[in-house]
Amino acid sequence: MTERLSSPLARYFEIYRVQLKNNFVREAVYRTNFLTSIIVDLVWIATEVTLFSVIYANVPVIAGWTQSQVFFFLGIFFASDALFTTFFQRNFFNFSDLVNKGDLDILLTKPIHPLFLILSRWMNLTALFNFFMGLFIAFHYAAPAGFPGGWKWLLLVFWLLVGLCAAILLRFAFAVWIFWTDRNWALVRLYYQFFAFATKPDAIYPGMIRYLILTVLPFAFIGSVPARALLYGLQTWEYFALAFVMLGFLGLNTILWRKGLRRYQSASS
Amino acid sequence: MNTALDWRAATLKNGFRDATAYRVEFFSDIVGSAIVPAAIQLVFWHALFTLGGATEVAGMTFTDMIHYTIVSVLFSQVRGGDQDFELGEMIRTGTLSNYLLRPVSVVEFIYLRGAAPRFLIAGLSLILGLILSLWLGGASPVRVCGAMVMAVMGNVIHYQIGAVLSTMGFYWEDAYSMLMVKNLVVSILSGELLPLNLFPASMRWIWESTPFYLYVFGPTQYALGRWTHLEFLHHLGIALIWMLGLWFLIRMTWKIGIRRYLSLGG
Repeated sequence: MTERLSSPLARYFEIYRVQLKNNFVREAVYRTNFLTSIIVDLVWIATEVTLFSVIYANVPVIAGWTQSQVFFFLGIFFASDALFTTFFQRNFFNFSDLVNKGDLDILLTKPIHPLFLILSRWMNLTALFNFFMGLFIAFHYAAPAGFPGGWKWLLLVFWLLVGLCAAILLRFAFAVWIFWTDRNWALVRLYYQFFAFATKPDAIYPGMIRYLILTVLPFAFIGSVPARALLYGLQTWEYFALAFVMLGFLGLNTILWRKGLRRYQSASS
Repeated sequence: MNTALDWRAATLKNGFRDATAYRVEFFSDIVGSAIVPAAIQLVFWHALFTLGGATEVAGMTFTDMIHYTIVSVLFSQVRGGDQDFELGEMIRTGTLSNYLLRPVSVVEFIYLRGAAPRFLIAGLSLILGLILSLWLGGASPVRVCGAMVMAVMGNVIHYQIGAVLSTMGFYWEDAYSMLMVKNLVVSILSGELLPLNLFPASMRWIWESTPFYLYVFGPTQYALGRWTHLEFLHHLGIALIWMLGLWFLIRMTWKIGIRRYLSLGG
């Protein structure tokens, strides 16, 4: 065991396995909570689907997107967002407490990267239901949406990972300011307000907003760009732009994290 | 000295102080929650009319839609509040016990404390609405005032429904999920995301059978002159019936729920 864990990668895997197990046990205790969370997720999906159903009851096409294509996008978006909710969302909720209460101290002393511990401790495994619901919707509307299927389904894995990474980078960029502010509640609220832009295909936005959600606040990377890439494919420059924005956010977050750590003062005794 | 009035006034005052203790957060939250629903609506109108080339959707032109968006933002700021979540949390954690000892209604106390900032927002929205009524066709100061009355009644109804749902906390681990479901349904059936007359005729019964349309859609329709005074009074009557019915329901559910309530600890 010691020998196996001497490899850094194996150590990280082992820690993640233990975190996963602990979270599973925790959720298994609250079974009613599991059921009610599924109901909330179903109603959320129904709300988004209803919104577009009402719009499409009046017009056949929105900005070149048919109803089936929009539902395909919604499926991709729900699946991508569910991955973030399952594995990362709770950790970001607890991030401000770690900094404000000084609980970050103990994580900084561990022989593991503190960000790994911060972002992997809490999970919401119930949200996996939403992931499967998202996939179901995407599969159901794939053919009428014009998705060729076949081996191209493999690309879905790549695009879901892109969506997940975009969500993590964005959420981190909103959370990291806790090192400079006592309360970042307003920023968190702002994140969730901007998040509403991720729930619609980017093609329907006017130029300025579309540019914003593809660059400075790339909420479109969570579901819209993946869905568009799967349905229509992207141009070469779009792949470069996507990589540029993601790497830019990664760089920015790294700088902010390091500067934040330098500013961090332990509140614990 | 009117004790009944005094505690209510004091609660409102304290609630307002609590909400505005962090002023930047308070105002940024208002601005954020106003801009995003409006932006989402505008995006749809842009897609339908500018990109899609439509001239009329569900009997509404592009200008009608823009007017709806602008005015609905005023009322969507009045609806809501998360006092019902606070009630549910109190039941779950047992802090309800502290309030049961006080000689005031806990349901009303929590409402007033959380409603104080909403009343301030309602006042600001009213001023903005009165200014807008000068140049929006169909609107008038009287209509805007009447619409704001309906929106405030909608705020009360919203809380009343939440207060009834929060009693689920007496039976289950917590009522959070039920309240979330309610808020999700409200987001679409209140008319803050799109005018409810976009619903096809076969689906109208969905929003007509709930009181949620009284929060945003109803006030906006009246303020913009799309409801006659008679229609407005009719819907105001419906709002009153909902308030009365929910008042009885709150009394009943809380009376039964309190019997099951068990608070442990010192």
